[in-house]
Amino acid sequence: MTRHQRLTPYRESLAAWSMVAPALLVTVTFALYPVVDSLWLSLHRIVIGLPQLGNSFVGPDNYLALLRDPVARQALLVTLGFVLCSTLLELACGLVIALVIHERFHGRGLVRAAILIPWAIPTVVASQLWRYIFNDQYGFANLLLFGNQVTDYIPWLSYPSLAFGIVVLADVWKTSSFAALLILAGLQLIPDDLYDAARVDGAGAWQRFRHITLPLLKPALLLALLFRTMDAFRVFDLVFVMTQGGPGDATQVLQFYGYQTLFTEGRIGYGSAVSVAVFLMILALSLIYLRAIGSSLLEQRRT
Amino acid sequence: MRWISSRQRIQRPRQSCALTVSRWIVLLTLILLTGSTGVAPAASSLEVAATTSKSHVTLRFVSWKPDHPRVWDDALAQFTAAHPHITVVRELAPHSSTAYHDLLTQKLKNGDTTVDVFFMDVIWVPEFAAARWARPLEDRFLPALQQAFLPATLEVGRYDKHLYGVPSRIDAGLLYYRKDLLTKYGFLPPTTWDALVRQAETILAGERTASPILQGYVAQFKQYEGLVCNMLEMIEAHGGSLLTADATRSTLSAEPALHAVQFVRDRLIGRITPRAALTYQEPESLTLFLQGHAIFHRNWPYAWELANNHARSTVAGQIGVAPLPGFAGGRNAAALGGWLYGISAGSQHPQEAWALIEFLSSETMQKRFAQEAGIAPSRTALFSDPDLLATSPQLLNHLAVLQTATPRPRSPIYPALSHLLQRYFGRALAVDGVDLQQEAAIADAHIDRLLALTRSRP
Repeated sequence: MTRHQRLTPYRESLAAWSMVAPALLVTVTFALYPVVDSLWLSLHRIVIGLPQLGNSFVGPDNYLALLRDPVARQALLVTLGFVLCSTLLELACGLVIALVIHERFHGRGLVRAAILIPWAIPTVVASQLWRYIFNDQYGFANLLLFGNQVTDYIPWLSYPSLAFGIVVLADVWKTSSFAALLILAGLQLIPDDLYDAARVDGAGAWQRFRHITLPLLKPALLLALLFRTMDAFRVFDLVFVMTQGGPGDATQVLQFYGYQTLFTEGRIGYGSAVSVAVFLMILALSLIYLRAIGSSLLEQRRT
Repeated sequence: MRWISSRQRIQRPRQSCALTVSRWIVLLTLILLTGSTGVAPAASSLEVAATTSKSHVTLRFVSWKPDHPRVWDDALAQFTAAHPHITVVRELAPHSSTAYHDLLTQKLKNGDTTVDVFFMDVIWVPEFAAARWARPLEDRFLPALQQAFLPATLEVGRYDKHLYGVPSRIDAGLLYYRKDLLTKYGFLPPTTWDALVRQAETILAGERTASPILQGYVAQFKQYEGLVCNMLEMIEAHGGSLLTADATRSTLSAEPALHAVQFVRDRLIGRITPRAALTYQEPESLTLFLQGHAIFHRNWPYAWELANNHARSTVAGQIGVAPLPGFAGGRNAAALGGWLYGISAGSQHPQEAWALIEFLSSETMQKRFAQEAGIAPSRTALFSDPDLLATSPQLLNHLAVLQTATPRPRSPIYPALSHLLQRYFGRALAVDGVDLQQEAAIADAHIDRLLALTRSRP
């Protein structure tokens, strides 16, 4: 009896571990190992084309070089600009879309499904699509604006600021619906009674939106903001397909810079440092967000 | 290298796993097929399958997407017909040299065995050799065979006294022009850039009403490897260079290089060259020329065949070709480009790989590639082949240009060097109001630091 009692917790924990083990193993090999490996590589000087350098341990040298690297600084500015523009626009568009598909109207299911299409298209395909739309010779944008006036056609992607704007536009087009989905979930949590009560009190549509919808949507909005910021920070495929960082480095984002140094230039140590830096920035950002979301949820519970 | 070996450790079990899975699939299929006759025959036919697959070799050939896929398919079919025990599996990568480089080096770096034969850009030889990805070829590429190739085309495959590539095609930049338009205005093909600009301006002014979208000069100015070739030609033509003669320092802020960049920026882009050329690689710029929308066009020798191909070009028969112009007081310059066949150091079938390379670079095949795909040959004999010269007069120009063509810096870290150059040229051409002198100085400092890395030995 006592022996059995002593064994049970042991057996239970054994069973628990054996059930968790596969997932744990997968996480460690595919998530933890690459991160730790990159971190380790970023402390070395490894250049594929120069095996005579060996793999010397250089400590924080790569990170110090990164701080002084003007291309990295430019890439950081472009990335931050991209994050700011695209997330704000995506939240705004997402909110509008969510409010529309939250209303009851004929064919709402169809509209809801249709709105998700851009999000379902692989980014590489979408990027190619936008590159064609803004092609200087046969692009749809030129056809739409100038018709047969071919002499007026604009080489969109050859202007630094336009190219940047088009990359942002492509991202907004593609992921607004994802933001809308998150915001819609938030909308559906708001009880209808609140609106009825407000209506009885004589509140107009704008007042209802301002004083009920917006405050109660705050957690959903913050969540959408968190997801979109993190994703925007990691933008890569859009730039890779559409502009390759050009023209004149106007769309050179950090992730693409990391890719170039790692894979094209073969500077394994330095490229890893760039990737780790991006990772750390996203980590810091998400911690800030999570705190904000957590506290906003607490506030809600208190009221 | 620790990093590589760790990748290999992950790679291997996965492959053996894939192998067992495919064996299981074969076994299951056989059992299902012979299900009615029982297990014994199934087992014996499996043995047969196993023995034939042992002597049979599958060669993996990694290349970019060719301009004339049919010619390549035919060539490979011919090879397999002559070597029935070899199957060639082709992996096609993007047309862009940079994108292809990224894909290929990923495979080679990981010791991936799915590469046997690959195309190698001339600028990668030092990198591939230093990283020990490409196999030295002297044991099969014997001196007697080497003598059949133009010396200039062999040299690009050499690094540290070893040969790593068999020249498939060695290119140099050429100037294509519209013979009909030049004749109409009484011009001879320009020998200086100033003359080219003047001719283009005159023709554009005259043709404005007839064809409003006609452009003067189209070339490749997108921020990628081709930009380096185009700008190298301009800088060399101005009597400048990218690096000092001993290749230890960058010379972008020297007068000739600055002038050359200024010339492209102020006299070409947005004037006789459409601004859209800042987004053009070879295919886009060639398309414009093939549609008859450009007077002058810079490209590699392969463009001749396409420009005169009635199915793809509206200006076939009206094209002339000449060496790229120079500058008064400077000289003519063409960037050296081209592709070599290489064998992966990790290939399990070097013998069969060599057989494929020998076949593809044979005189017969090179002649076919030249005639049907416009690929400039690398064998000396073909440059005096009457059949070939009758259809491809650009080869004579090419031979002359090839003797004096300028290679891009030969360095094991060329990709990094190229990125810095691409960035500088990209910014210099695309960003309005950029201070050229300042940008050039920044690029110089960067490149010098990079070059110092190649000299440092622990």
